[in-house]
Amino acid sequence: MAEFKLPPNSRIDTRAGKTHRASAGAKSVRTFKIYRFDPHAQQRPRVDSYEVDMAGCGPMVLDALLKIKNEIDPTLSLRRSCREGICGSCAMNINGLNTLACTKACDELGRGDINIFPLPHMPVVKDLVTDLTDFYAQYAAVKPWLQTRTPAAPDRERLQSKDDQQRIDRPSACILCACCSTACPSYWWNSERYLGPAALLAAYRWIVDSRDDATGERLDALEDPFRLYRCHTIMNCTEACPKDLNPAKAIGAIKQMLAERQH
Amino acid sequence: MSLRSPLARVSYHGAARDGVGHWWAQRVTASALAPLSAWLLVALLTLPASDYTAVTAWIGAGWNPVLLALTVLLACWHSWLGVQVIIEDYVHSPGRKIAGLLLSMGAHALLAASGIYAVLRIALRSAA
Ligand code: SF4
Ligand code: SF4
Ligand code: FES
Repeated sequence: MAEFKLPPNSRIDTRAGKTHRASAGAKSVRTFKIYRFDPHAQQRPRVDSYEVDMAGCGPMVLDALLKIKNEIDPTLSLRRSCREGICGSCAMNINGLNTLACTKACDELGRGDINIFPLPHMPVVKDLVTDLTDFYAQYAAVKPWLQTRTPAAPDRERLQSKDDQQRIDRPSACILCACCSTACPSYWWNSERYLGPAALLAAYRWIVDSRDDATGERLDALEDPFRLYRCHTIMNCTEACPKDLNPAKAIGAIKQMLAERQH
Repeated sequence: MSLRSPLARVSYHGAARDGVGHWWAQRVTASALAPLSAWLLVALLTLPASDYTAVTAWIGAGWNPVLLALTVLLACWHSWLGVQVIIEDYVHSPGRKIAGLLLSMGAHALLAASGIYAVLRIALRSAA
């Protein structure tokens, strides 16, 4: 049947959380409540509280996380690389919304505590680090590369008109952070068979690419009750995307193309 | 545990090359049901009397039985498609999923057939 409850080892042990107090001289203290899980510890996940002196901390949530890791608790695990919203590694659930820790300012999050959890409904490797193996495999499954049969002119690139470029301009800006897919209830329930908004946006990006010759085959590969039609236009994906992309609209456009070729 | 590659795993059994018909039917039945249910609601609310004789007479009058039978058919069809989506979303064990889908199909077919039969029976009796 449908699973309405988390498995026991995924349920948070509300009594196990530790509190790391700020030092006495701290000026503006803000509390970060962070999900902690270590698969080797044979313990249920817990939520630790860290009091951070924001006076000595950068503005972004990632700055606070790195301060915690460097100065308070080195056992905290998280992923980050570019720290400027372009690598997609620091995606996590901050105050209930999936977003990038490096581009989310603490000030944007009101005055209260800041709750930080890993991306929802993904296997947790440790703390805020989730296993994205299947997410990347789904991206690979839509063949995100140019497929052509038309030979390129020997002396130049494959040309594109300005209008043609416009169609792929925004979708190409996806950084594969997984904020959208892991915010999608349909993806939660059927992530083994539903490709999810990120992979479908990537599929769309190649379907509408004027230089690509495999449009039909790409649509064929998506025509499936689970791969594509699990999307019920809930729009969480578009709401979550930290790059302001619109996977829901792209999915709608794919469905429309599939309907058009029927008649 | 399986050592199948992630790509093979997420590719499952390939694309079923299906789903567009379901998607289209869901939308077409919904757009047809919108005016039909409005008509039904308005007609029932503006009936001068709502006793047994008045309602059965209304069911048999003019185009009413045709539109009513159509409403029953489309409502059952639309609901069947919707329930199928819910089952596929939430029920993951293959046996229960197939059982649920068949059960829903049977229940909706039964509902549609009995609804249409009831309309016809009333309509033909008042016509006779
Ligand atoms: S619009 Fe589709 S892909 Fe986006 S969150 Fe909703 S169901 Fe998921
Ligand atoms: S569409 Fe947006 S949220 Fe989804 S993976 Fe790409 S950048 Fe991230
Ligand atoms: S660290 Fe690269 S996107 Fe946040």
